[in-house]
Amino acid sequence: MRMDTVIMGGGLSGLTCGIALAKRGQRVAIVASGQSTLLFNGGSMELLGNIDGQAVTVPLEAIATLPQDHPYSKIGASRIGQLAQEAQSLLADAGIEMDGNADRNHWRITPMGVAKPAWLTLNDHVRIDDLSQLPAKRVALMCIRGYFDQPNAMLAQGLRGLGFEVEMKEFTTDDITALRRSPSEMRATSLAKHLVSNSALQRVADQLNSLAGDVDMVLMPSVLGQNDTTDIHNLQALVKKPLYLVATLPPAVAGMRMQAQLRHYFRMLGGTYLMGDSAVSGTIDGERVTSISTAKLTDMPLRADHYVLATGSFVSRGLVADYERVYEPVLGVDVNADADRERWTRFGVLEPQAYCRYGVATDDQLRCLKQGKVIENLHAIGSVLSGHDAVKMGDGTGVSLLTALAVAHSIKGDK
Amino acid sequence: MAERMQICNLSENNFEQCTKCSICTTVCPVAAVTTDYPGPKQAGPDGERYRMKDPAYFDKTLKLCLNCKRCEVACPSGVHIADIIQQARMRATEGHRASLRDTLLANTDLLGTVANLVAPVANATLGLSPTKLVMDSVMAIDKHRTFPAYSRQKFTTWFKRHAAQGQDAYAHHVSYFHGCYVNYNFPKLGQDLVKLMNAMGYCVHLLDKEQCCGVALIANGLYKQARRQGRTNIDSIRKSVTRDNRVVLTTSSSCTFNMRDEYPVMLDIDNADVKDSITLATRFIYRLVDEGKVKLIFKQDYKRRMAYHTACHMQRMGWQLYSILLMRMIPGLDLVELEQECCGISGTYGFKKENYERSQAIGSALFKSIEEARVEAVATDCETCKWQIEMSTGLPVENPISVLADALDVEATMKANGVVVSF
Repeated sequence: MRMDTVIMGGGLSGLTCGIALAKRGQRVAIVASGQSTLLFNGGSMELLGNIDGQAVTVPLEAIATLPQDHPYSKIGASRIGQLAQEAQSLLADAGIEMDGNADRNHWRITPMGVAKPAWLTLNDHVRIDDLSQLPAKRVALMCIRGYFDQPNAMLAQGLRGLGFEVEMKEFTTDDITALRRSPSEMRATSLAKHLVSNSALQRVADQLNSLAGDVDMVLMPSVLGQNDTTDIHNLQALVKKPLYLVATLPPAVAGMRMQAQLRHYFRMLGGTYLMGDSAVSGTIDGERVTSISTAKLTDMPLRADHYVLATGSFVSRGLVADYERVYEPVLGVDVNADADRERWTRFGVLEPQAYCRYGVATDDQLRCLKQGKVIENLHAIGSVLSGHDAVKMGDGTGVSLLTALAVAHSIKGDK
Repeated sequence: MAERMQICNLSENNFEQCTKCSICTTVCPVAAVTTDYPGPKQAGPDGERYRMKDPAYFDKTLKLCLNCKRCEVACPSGVHIADIIQQARMRATEGHRASLRDTLLANTDLLGTVANLVAPVANATLGLSPTKLVMDSVMAIDKHRTFPAYSRQKFTTWFKRHAAQGQDAYAHHVSYFHGCYVNYNFPKLGQDLVKLMNAMGYCVHLLDKEQCCGVALIANGLYKQARRQGRTNIDSIRKSVTRDNRVVLTTSSSCTFNMRDEYPVMLDIDNADVKDSITLATRFIYRLVDEGKVKLIFKQDYKRRMAYHTACHMQRMGWQLYSILLMRMIPGLDLVELEQECCGISGTYGFKKENYERSQAIGSALFKSIEEARVEAVATDCETCKWQIEMSTGLPVENPISVLADALDVEATMKANGVVVSF
């Protein structure tokens, strides 16, 4: 089967690259093995959150100071602002409305109540532009009875630490109570499936209105809008006080919705999305990949002019660690990782961990290497890349979006 | 250190690889509509840890699992979640006697043989309200369901009378596993396949012996019978592949998935040597076209707008691509690819009275998206999806092979492939 570009991996970076290429008229196939880690995303994108443990205020300035092996440095610090704008409008075209800009980070609120620097946040989720000027003084934190994926006390404590006056209120409705029969399934994504009808939303709104009292803002967990944001907007219209959502523990409704929206947009542009299939091997002839084989299409390899590795990091199996080594399992391209296993991790789970920076080695155009030689038509994008640390630097989603767009430009031969 | 650690999986279903990420729970169509079912993570890998300690931890709500495999498709870690659930069910229920209703529903070929003999009577009677009420109350087959109409002439009878003798006229040969639906309910699909293959210069042959693939038998706990029939089928398929050098084509995604993927897992039937030779006709044809071995020429005046529904088992096989790309070759066909959603019927599941409401609730998202697509008809590779969508949307549903056969310019295709009939 012949394509212009074959992308291995159907998460944030793979879909973004696929959309950018399909928009320009390319025939693109994405091989997506299972759902992606985008389902863990609570509704924010980060460009660069921290350097050496210090929060970054102006990401574009901080990016210029990153070391040469960071993916942003390979793209070129001067292009980041432009690519960031492009990413924001691509997301909006897919129906993902986010606020923020690359000139100045804002703060997102984690499910544990911690404020972290962010670049973009869904416009119906709570965010703080300036910690010295909170968007509200008194907030009502609405806690859903029987819902465990929101550590409410920690969240309230965190919000109070930021300077909010927080009133915790517990509520339920008949629809929510019915769900409690299966406590292990009482998750954000299950709530989102049941809170869809106008009457169910009205019952939630009645509770919020009667409990809110005299506050400036009502916060509730992000448990609405599995397919689109209609349910969220409907509830916001029914609640008298300004209503904003707070990220929940994963799987997150916002992430699930963004994944579906991007996939839908990619298909609308004529893209081929092979759901539940995975790239298993490829053939490399000299300096070029000539085909990719997948688990499901077996003896019918996918052929293309360009190939993109967007298979993610360890959790998505784009990288594999066994007892001996860290490797890239599809094409066996070179990885940047310590050979000595003792150096992969260090004591203290919250300490910076070396393995978080591991990934495939690339040249300055993000092309993969095999035994030190550049493979001309194989680019790597997103979490599979080495030289960045989504956990400690807060650059994971930004690297996914921007490397995807940069590679789409080089595949199309843009300057 | 390595010697003291478990290096490889011990399970065959990747049980050990579950990271508890819960992504499977976001796609389960059953958990989405009922709180009675604990969801794939709890029913699968989580529950399995307890069941490994003591089988008494088996939870009877596991029978609510549709075996749609959407959890497996979504799993980022390759855990065979539905296999874990189905195998647990099998361990807990093997040897139990199935109810009369379940036995009847599961024996699609027995039911078909009887019904073909008395097709006009059966069709009329099965459609009558009194009959439906009796079935509903006595048999617990839901009154909203209508059994698919039975054909007066079986496909195999038609084939022997009208097609068999012509099947040595062409250069290439394939076998066809038609399945119960084509044989008893809808011979036209089989006829369409013969028409299509013949136009491309391929002779179609039946297997030495074909029995119901047993997908409904497995779902209803009749494992012994399923194993017996499965062995017969694989023996016949093996003869076709090794003795006659003929690939075995199919037109039903569920029969195909069952024979390729469920036989070894659920029935312990070794099919490794012939698995690759059992293939949906759309996959076989697409590859011939892709490799430039055949050409398909379609009618100039064909014009239609259709939606394609990916059946759950089709998605598990990852083969929807072949059907979609083949249909996209038809110039006059405007094809809308629907988001993959479960239709809710899952073979015999939706026919059971206790499941009817759940079945319709599961399918509601799909029915809505079909309505919004504003199409004349729907295409899908699964016959039970067809019944469900036809009943629930009122639109006609066709197999992609029938769509291709209808749109095909037979003479031009024969000419383009240099097919000369030599008899």
